[in-house]
Amino acid sequence: MADNTVNLTIEGRAVSVPAGTSILEAAKTVGVLIPHYCYHSGLPVAGVCRMCLVEVEKSPKLAPACATTVGEGQVVHVYSAKALEARKGVLEFLLINHPLDCPICDQSGECELQDYTFQEGRADSRYREPKRFNPMEDFGGDVLYVQNRCILCTRCVRFMDDVHHAPVLNVTERGDRAFIGKAPDADLTQPWAANVVDLCPVGALVSKDFLNKARAWELDRTASVCTGCSQGCNITVEMRDNVVVRFKPRANEHVNHFYMCDEGRANYRWLNRPDRLEVPMADGRPVDWEVALAATAALLKGKKAHIVANASLSNEAMHLIKRIAGKTGGAVTYAVNTGIEAALPGATDLAVRADRAANATAAELFGFTRTSDVLSGLSAQHVLIIVDDALDGISADAVAKAGAVIVIATAMPTAVARANVVLPIANVVEEEGTLTNLRGRVQRFLQSKQAPGLARPSWFVLADLLQSLGEVAPHLTARAAFDALAKAEPAFAGMNYDTLALSGQTVPGALAGARA
Amino acid sequence: MTIRVKVVDRPVGEVSYVRATVKGLALTLKHLIDPHKVTVQYPDEKWDISPRWRGTHRMLTTEDGTAKCVACGLCPTVCPANCIKLVPGEDEEGNRYPLVFEIDEFRCIFCGYCQEVCPEEAIHMGRHYENAEYSRDRFVYDLARLTSQTHPVSELWDPADRKGE
Repeated sequence: MADNTVNLTIEGRAVSVPAGTSILEAAKTVGVLIPHYCYHSGLPVAGVCRMCLVEVEKSPKLAPACATTVGEGQVVHVYSAKALEARKGVLEFLLINHPLDCPICDQSGECELQDYTFQEGRADSRYREPKRFNPMEDFGGDVLYVQNRCILCTRCVRFMDDVHHAPVLNVTERGDRAFIGKAPDADLTQPWAANVVDLCPVGALVSKDFLNKARAWELDRTASVCTGCSQGCNITVEMRDNVVVRFKPRANEHVNHFYMCDEGRANYRWLNRPDRLEVPMADGRPVDWEVALAATAALLKGKKAHIVANASLSNEAMHLIKRIAGKTGGAVTYAVNTGIEAALPGATDLAVRADRAANATAAELFGFTRTSDVLSGLSAQHVLIIVDDALDGISADAVAKAGAVIVIATAMPTAVARANVVLPIANVVEEEGTLTNLRGRVQRFLQSKQAPGLARPSWFVLADLLQSLGEVAPHLTARAAFDALAKAEPAFAGMNYDTLALSGQTVPGALAGARA
Repeated sequence: MTIRVKVVDRPVGEVSYVRATVKGLALTLKHLIDPHKVTVQYPDEKWDISPRWRGTHRMLTTEDGTAKCVACGLCPTVCPANCIKLVPGEDEEGNRYPLVFEIDEFRCIFCGYCQEVCPEEAIHMGRHYENAEYSRDRFVYDLARLTSQTHPVSELWDPADRKGE
């Protein structure tokens, strides 16, 4: 065994980890979760909460597992009577001034103070004095600070200092008067500041947007990918009664570590928009899918297609668009909205990217034309196919130039006055698929919500359309659509939904040509 | 072959109906003289019901007349019949309150879990049983209906012995 490996025993289990690892991290590798508040894998170690005290044999005192590195031959007891007694004491101190307002606290159900108290805390309180009371404070941005619930773990302070490099939070006052203070004239309006809400183990920092909206245990959670920019942060879509109520970051060390930006967080609202296309239409009348697809095929017969694709469509949909374009001999254009790039300085290669579209990399890989004027070269000889593009900045007159208009979309673009055929599709949380981020990482997103009306997944509709044009594309599942894509595109060779799993795989050679 | 039946020769004193008839008439006569009342003259008279009786719900209010409920969501979570609909909201002072609180009394199985779980002692089972209505939809009690009711509420446990020991 290599020199830098340390062997120890935690809770009777043999552990081998590299030297320098903390006991807490070593315990995680064998499935022992040592209770902790101030420790977070993405932040520097503080050792202030004392919740991770464990008994190490031959050591005179209990050791904080987060700040103690492993030693050869150590024997660690996490649940010994001595360690449990100490942690029970820590919890009793933490609860002295805690208001126990769990019924109205947003963190309730996902609160570590609740969890650990239930696990190893006292059943009742011995504290008879009146509790300290401090008013709530609005921290600006999306963050509300409820001082009474704070346990002063300082995760938020360390995140703002060491990861965001925007030191606006601190611990003010001392002893039982201590609270998290905010620098005067500063607000938590930094582009990544709302991560302090996720980092907070209790309900002290809560999201104003989510406040009082739903309880944690009512939410349905699904793994997905944020479509706000080309970074492709891994997220969890959280829904209540088929309505998306918030996004939470999902840890992925290759993409977003533990974080996501405030802009991405606020990006859930459009997924619930009520003005969705729900039924296929031909010549302004609602029709069956078969009729609508046949009408589309009839329109395209002998005509050239001009396809405008949304740069946030899935890889599967883009691949099928490429095949439709190949069949009908037309061009595919896409536009990308751009914004200001805002990096998270303390995390490697993580930023809100300038390209505010999720899949521009795949569009580029497939040879689509990136342009601001997506309708350039359109004439009466063309059949215009709009695939979920909102046609921002395009006038109705420009669209009317086309010989015929086919809209395959979640909602009707305002610039389209009259569409010959309308095919409703599902949006990103209503279908399954994959996206390619700017570093060429192909990542899966899963279906969380039900699509409205008769809307179908984009890859399903496009494959059906391809079939009605006489091609062979029998894709009944997103998995099959991706397998066909992996077979046809060398960049995706060898990938499938199993190898991608939930953390993704990188397209070979994509890093070199990536657009920052 | 003929079937043989055993004929039991019982004494007349034991098999005669006269004795039983006289006994029954004597009981009737006894009730006629000393009426032992069982029938309650409902609705003029009503029975006392148990303090732990679990009838249709009632929401208790604070001094200013608003519901005590803070919309914590525990009762819809614990409800085994899924009969409580709750949508939380926020008032002008930022306090949580129930925007919508509806109990479908048809769905309710009157288990009393909602009262037991309520941290604010807001929702209670009622100690009454007169629930007749002219239409089915009146059985979905909204917040106004739940707070305006005045009948006594159930004691799921003895107040002197809260842990039930």
